[in-house]
Amino acid sequence: MSAHNPDHLHPAVRPQLQSRTISPKSKNMVMASHGRAPWYSPDGKNVEAYVIGIAGGSASGKTSVARAILSALNYVPTVLILSQDSFYCAHTPEQIQTAFNNDFDFDHPDAIDTPLFVKCLLDLKQGKATEIPIYSFVHHQRMPEKKYIYGASVIIVEGIMALQSPELRALYDLKVFVNCDSDLMLARRIKRDVSERGRDVNGILDQYLRFVKNSYDNFVQPSSRHADIIVPGSSNQLAIELLVTHVKRQLDTRSLRFRRMLAETGEEKSKARSRSSTLLNDESEDGNVVLLEQTNQLLGIMTILRDRTTDRGEFIFHADRLSTIVVEKALSLIPCQSKTVRTPTGIDYEGLARDDRLVGISILRSGGPFSHGLRRVIRDVPIGAMLIQSDPRTGEPLLLKSDLPSSIKSRETSGEVKVLLLDSQMGTGAAALMAIRVLLDHGIKQLNIIFLTYLITQPAIHSVHRAFPNVKIVTASIDPELIEMHLPFNPDSLQLGEVAGEADFAVQTIENSSSINEKVDENEDENDLRSAIKNENELSSNHFKINVKDTEELKFSRSTSKNNENEKRAWIISPGMGHIGDRYYIS
Amino acid sequence: MSSPNVITTCLPASGSNVHKVELPENALVLSPTRQLQSLLTIIRDEKTQRTSDRIIRLLVEEGLNHLPVIDKKVTTPTGQVYNGVAFQGRICGVSIMRAGEAMEAGLRDCCRSVRIGKDEETYQPKLFYAKLPDDIAKRYVLLLDPMLATGGSCIKAIEVLLEHGVEEEKILFLNLIASPEGIQKVCTRFPKLRIITAWVDEGLDSNSYIVPGLGDFGDR
Repeated sequence: MSAHNPDHLHPAVRPQLQSRTISPKSKNMVMASHGRAPWYSPDGKNVEAYVIGIAGGSASGKTSVARAILSALNYVPTVLILSQDSFYCAHTPEQIQTAFNNDFDFDHPDAIDTPLFVKCLLDLKQGKATEIPIYSFVHHQRMPEKKYIYGASVIIVEGIMALQSPELRALYDLKVFVNCDSDLMLARRIKRDVSERGRDVNGILDQYLRFVKNSYDNFVQPSSRHADIIVPGSSNQLAIELLVTHVKRQLDTRSLRFRRMLAETGEEKSKARSRSSTLLNDESEDGNVVLLEQTNQLLGIMTILRDRTTDRGEFIFHADRLSTIVVEKALSLIPCQSKTVRTPTGIDYEGLARDDRLVGISILRSGGPFSHGLRRVIRDVPIGAMLIQSDPRTGEPLLLKSDLPSSIKSRETSGEVKVLLLDSQMGTGAAALMAIRVLLDHGIKQLNIIFLTYLITQPAIHSVHRAFPNVKIVTASIDPELIEMHLPFNPDSLQLGEVAGEADFAVQTIENSSSINEKVDENEDENDLRSAIKNENELSSNHFKINVKDTEELKFSRSTSKNNENEKRAWIISPGMGHIGDRYYIS
Repeated sequence: MSSPNVITTCLPASGSNVHKVELPENALVLSPTRQLQSLLTIIRDEKTQRTSDRIIRLLVEEGLNHLPVIDKKVTTPTGQVYNGVAFQGRICGVSIMRAGEAMEAGLRDCCRSVRIGKDEETYQPKLFYAKLPDDIAKRYVLLLDPMLATGGSCIKAIEVLLEHGVEEEKILFLNLIASPEGIQKVCTRFPKLRIITAWVDEGLDSNSYIVPGLGDFGDR
């Protein structure tokens, strides 16, 4: 994996939309495309992921069907293929020995850790992060490591027993059975097991006659009666087309027009309140919104930052200074434990110690400046990043990348982690909602999240607190207005500069189970991909151009009205301070 | 006054010792937030090697708030007019060597291209060395010294500044930990000067060290 520096992402990875590398070996995979649109409603509740279960005999072609669906859904932000193979039970040493002797029945429903399978799938379906086990066919054992997975809007579950357990079946939105000739399956199986899993033909045949055949007749084939649709194992393009059309229609009904909804609902409600609270001063720490004391220095800093004639050096200096002040204020809200120390004069002093389970998450790019301020205050705090930008035409937020500290990724620790969420300004609150939703999906408590910003609008405060009332907001300034603008935009060279930008499209393959050697392969793939990206960058100078056809395809589900075609929509804070990321990073 | 060898009982951390001391009007103490207390806990700990710039930055920010501003209208990048303020008056930081030098980095974090002069003092208040900007008389002066014990060196430094033509009301004395005695002495002597301190401690021991204090700041 690349050592990733969140602050210097801008001229980063921009592969072509068409390039898609899928490792032929790994069964679990995530395909991430141009970014993830909101997967939750404006009140902050998750919309469930669409889950497809694919069962069928061993080597019947389940994986190919899954991949065909995945390729056909290439405009869906994140599609995950989850293989049943990952969920084989952890074995005792005796079982491992029988497995090496080809005596272990892998084709019985009991070989699968169904409770764990259900738990992981339920987490994923509800949009939560989860950690799936890694099973090695070389060692016939579950590996101690786990694979972190988060954020799929479509999940494809495949395995011979995928339709076996009623608990699993309850989670599927669509159940598919792949039907294939027995001799074709056996031929494929011999070929695969010899080349990929290092078995010999006698062992495979022996295993087939003793276990596989029985299992297929007794468990797998009968489970086909639960399927919504039965797909042939070969020459199945037409069946897949039908499937995909159905899935597209289902996904379509779930898509949301998001930021506009926020801007509108927030406005209405804040209008009623704005009369009474036009001047929130330092005393009225309105519930969970903390406005910094409006001192002369603070007003002076804000004046410099808001002035459009301020040069970049001056802007950076004062932005850093302001973030330091905001961070100090936010830290004063976090509880401390008592601690007694001995001073050099030999006297005990009963003091307080800071909670060390603190992490910072900056929302890129405009949250980037803030991480400098945080580092100044706490040098060794882990800082993660989320890249959230707006879709140029709809103005909806897209989650393009998230890079979170390990204490958040692990469910065991995330419950106690305190998060400082950093973004330099909040206009509609859409990016903030998305970032908070990501944190909640990882098991972080609302009470443990503090959102830090220079500038926030009344509508944004409202929409964040409507969805997540317990999240604290610390801000240096509150602006009253949010103006909807339609900026001119040329559809022939859609430039994602300000709003989108980096890592627009990335295919990521999760290295699975099978072997350690595979990891090496993955790295090579990645290097290839990266050098391909480099070339692409050189060719297309600094500007990322997507051709119109692709954009249309991305938009398949959103009904774009005709008159908006040459405009992009943006919401602008007024009086505001411009695009902070640009002013900080670009002169 | 307690003897240096006897360990006194633990001081409460709730900031109660701030309120029981009567302070002169021109002395200002930072509000005892939990973060400030945890920072003080770190620097008081005899095991701590690196002192933190954070308290100093908080002090400087508080100190700068006592400088005047004038109204200023600016145009934002969105084309709107914003009624803001502009800083008025130039400033100069003067650190009392050696300990005061440790505070210079914190000052530079808050003020761009601030002039910093030197003022050498010792335990016996006697001036060794003074290097001050030529136009210091026209500036506001932030005088930096982390510890205010008896107030001897601080008073000497202020006298030097006054000799150089600095107006008394333009001096802000920034200080980390002060003794009540020191504050009283300095404030009575210079009623127009302002002191900003992060914490007021119990008092002085027979060696004129602040208790519980944090030892020799410059050495650490």
